[in-house]
Amino acid sequence: MNNIENQRSRFIRPCTRVWIALLVLTGITYGIGRMELGGAQIVMLVLVITFIKGEMVAGFFMGLRKTSLLWRAIMASWLVIVGGGIAIAYLVGLK
Amino acid sequence: MAIWLFIYAELLAFGVFFLSYAFARAHNVELFNESQQHLNRESGAINTVVLITSSYFVVRAVAAIREGLSRQCAHWLSAAIGLGGVFLVIKLFEFHAKFSAGISLSTNTFYMFYLSLTIFHFMHVILGMVILAAVMLKARRGGYTAEHHTGVETGASYWHMVDLLWIILFPLVYVIR
Repeated sequence: MNNIENQRSRFIRPCTRVWIALLVLTGITYGIGRMELGGAQIVMLVLVITFIKGEMVAGFFMGLRKTSLLWRAIMASWLVIVGGGIAIAYLVGLK
Repeated sequence: MAIWLFIYAELLAFGVFFLSYAFARAHNVELFNESQQHLNRESGAINTVVLITSSYFVVRAVAAIREGLSRQCAHWLSAAIGLGGVFLVIKLFEFHAKFSAGISLSTNTFYMFYLSLTIFHFMHVILGMVILAAVMLKARRGGYTAEHHTGVETGASYWHMVDLLWIILFPLVYVIR
């Protein structure tokens, strides 16, 4: 029973909080889209939200926060490169 | 280990796709912004919620099997697969609306990217559901234990990747303007 309680507090509860946070962040992203907000600052905000969501899924749902630094670094690098590339492309489009 | 190499290879392919979209948009901003207005943003947002929740259900399936609860694990996986089905149905309605309006891959650059990206992702959702279904059937037969359940963890990781890809695809295609 202690093991079950231990697993709930160490795995399920943090993931439940992450799930709720992901839904809230999705709501914010949708709200930005619905209001058709644009511009560099808004897009950077959307990309930061997306990065946070990606890190949450990778770290908590995929469990990467408890694996080796290498796997976490690869995932974080992918998110930074893709997000950064999208940001650069957006800024290029503004010119 | 093997599944992570596979996942990172998939992420690499989608990453190139996402950046191609972003830089194509940089050279056709007006066309992309105008075309984006015809997308069903509500469907995209609902599908984000559906996939995130489905991913959470898979987390619960992993937690259940770690406690040796095979039947609970199978139930959570069934719920996750069901939400995968909801995602597909919503997406099919979106595709049907676009194709009915005469939109195709050759309509313009935006729709070429929109359709190919979302159809590519759609196929990954189907593959993820097939993997989860195979894991669910084995769990239902008692094929996993608290000590030995690599298959559940592997299927879960793939499904989370499918979720992660949509988490980027949604703002990129439906929101950023």
